[in-house]
Amino acid sequence: MDSIIQFVQQDLGNPGLAALLSNPSFAFIQLMNSFSQAMNLFIIAAGLSLIFGVLRVINFAHGAFYMFGAYIVYSVAQEWTGNFWLGVAAAGLGLAVMAVIIERGLFQYIYDKEHLMQLLLTFAVVLILSDVAKIIWGTDQYSVSYPAGMKGAVDLGVTFYPTYRLFLIVVGPAIAIGLWLFTERTRFGRLTRAATQDREMLSALGVNVPIIYTGVFILGSVLAGIGGGLAAPFNSPTPGMDATIIVDCFVIVIVGGLGSIWGSFIGAIIYGLVFNYGSVIVPNWQDVFPFLILLAVLLVRPWGLFGKPEGGNA
Amino acid sequence: MRRSLLAATAAAAVLAAGAAQADEIRIGVLYPIAGTGAVYGEPAMHGHNMAVDELNAAGGILGKKIVSFARDTKLKPAAASAAAKELITKDGVDVLVGGLSSAVGLAISEVARQEGVVYVATIPKTIKLTTEKRHDHVFRTASHTDFEGDAMAQIVAQLGLKKICDIQLDYAYGHDLAAGIEKGLKRHAPDAEKVLDLRVKLGATDYNAFISQIMGAGCDGVTSGLWGSHFVNFAQQGSPFGLFQQIKYISGGEIASHEIAGKMKGDYPDNVWSNTYELWYHHHDPSHVAFQEALAARSGTGETAMWPVLAYIGVKFIAAAAEKAGSMDADALSGALKGMSISTPVGQRTIDPETHQADTGQFWGPMVRKEGADYRVMDPVTYIPAVIEE
Repeated sequence: MDSIIQFVQQDLGNPGLAALLSNPSFAFIQLMNSFSQAMNLFIIAAGLSLIFGVLRVINFAHGAFYMFGAYIVYSVAQEWTGNFWLGVAAAGLGLAVMAVIIERGLFQYIYDKEHLMQLLLTFAVVLILSDVAKIIWGTDQYSVSYPAGMKGAVDLGVTFYPTYRLFLIVVGPAIAIGLWLFTERTRFGRLTRAATQDREMLSALGVNVPIIYTGVFILGSVLAGIGGGLAAPFNSPTPGMDATIIVDCFVIVIVGGLGSIWGSFIGAIIYGLVFNYGSVIVPNWQDVFPFLILLAVLLVRPWGLFGKPEGGNA
Repeated sequence: MRRSLLAATAAAAVLAAGAAQADEIRIGVLYPIAGTGAVYGEPAMHGHNMAVDELNAAGGILGKKIVSFARDTKLKPAAASAAAKELITKDGVDVLVGGLSSAVGLAISEVARQEGVVYVATIPKTIKLTTEKRHDHVFRTASHTDFEGDAMAQIVAQLGLKKICDIQLDYAYGHDLAAGIEKGLKRHAPDAEKVLDLRVKLGATDYNAFISQIMGAGCDGVTSGLWGSHFVNFAQQGSPFGLFQQIKYISGGEIASHEIAGKMKGDYPDNVWSNTYELWYHHHDPSHVAFQEALAARSGTGETAMWPVLAYIGVKFIAAAAEKAGSMDADALSGALKGMSISTPVGQRTIDPETHQADTGQFWGPMVRKEGADYRVMDPVTYIPAVIEE
């Protein structure tokens, strides 16, 4: 092993890889970093994927919803109440209200339109929301404190790891299982799955399809809001944060397969692993790596790892 | 008929513009006014407008009223370059001022070179602007990455740090600052060893992968130029790991400015030494009191931001040069700016006739908790002048 490390360090000239090989706790921390980043991204990407799966709309404004979630947590938790969890709840609630207004007021009219129209409308919403955010919160960068009791780190035996990040690692799978139970085990979930298959038939059977659409849009948007809220302590709420996250989310849902919850879950983990190990081993390529996975998946399996090919009877 | 009416109106407008130009001075202002960069562009505009209003109240430049034409650079070199061209060709501005981000500054400077218009760079810090990319019409009133890196190396030496990790943003400013620090370390702390070099992309939000590398590298000091929300995110992610207990963090990028410390409040980490051009609570020059009061009235808060003073000084330099040259002609203005010296709210500033660079030093110091303040303040404040001793 020592000779391998020496080879990597000196002949390959790669101190990052050498550090990973020689220091197991460093390698472990990067694994934890991958998971915690992935779980936060998953919460947001799952919302995007869910909305696409049912409504067949690629919602560019999803990143703006995330940004609003972060800003709301700042206002409620940092400015008004001092309670972080109240802030996250408010972010979820706030996004539910926004979702109803946007879905009923705008999106419901474009479900039958071509993708370009949908794209233009959701992009218009992005521009409007980013200006609204600027009117409400200005252009400052804010800082949100970690919730009480989660400011420090926990001793995992091997190494210390930040409590809040561990919390994210737990909460991500919990949300994934919750979403899975919801779509597989509840009546509303079954109806949403039916709506993805054949909404005309569903409507002919007497089901109120528009309500299902609104419901799914709310759920997806609330996930973006909560994801933004949970990210606020380590991602300073600031103008432009919507643009960064939407690109990451697109990579994840395309890799995982649009419309699949477990696809987003696995897609997020792949993203996290590639980002965290990639930036140690090949630091100069850190920007490119997510897109290389995207490229590889699009070439081999364009419908994503867990997706279904379009154009069948789906 | 309609077309000829339109043509006539257009001709009249052009004539009117020409006529107006004769009795007014047009300044083209380039800051990021909307979007991510507005956090700096907006306060910079306050400072700019304050200088213009002061000058106009005193009779303008050469007896003519100053009119500002502000364009949004969107923090993007391409947008800045297009805006600069439009300001010159469409609005007929006499001079360009502003620029935020090193890449944007270089883009505006290139337009100024091609069009033969004077550009006063108030914020961009890349050394290239006044070295390999310098031309007869570009001047800088901001500091630059060699001054900044040299000051950081002085602090490394004072604190007796031996093993340095460097983390920088992956664009012109970060690269040039890293080079500036390296040169500075050779001068001031020759026995300090650089053990880790990290580059983070501009706009990055996740720093955990880098934080664990720094913590594993065994350095006792970190040098960095992560500015604005980059620093806020880095600090928020590094604190739970105990990063700031393990190392001393020496940072350029003005994270000691009030806008960062005042927003982060109790979350601002320990062991940070950083810089700022101005502090509302520190009166280095007697004229600063009046400046700060006027700025406070204009901004609607007593705790004012750092960026306005930079934009303010840029306009004051242009006015002084125009009065000296007796005209707004680009070559005359350029000639007057060489060696020009004015007093500013943060001290005397002189532009070097050779390099076109003002001797803009900065305030440096540790960010500490203080009785009565609900956020961190710099104490003690040390002015490190813009002098590089070879």
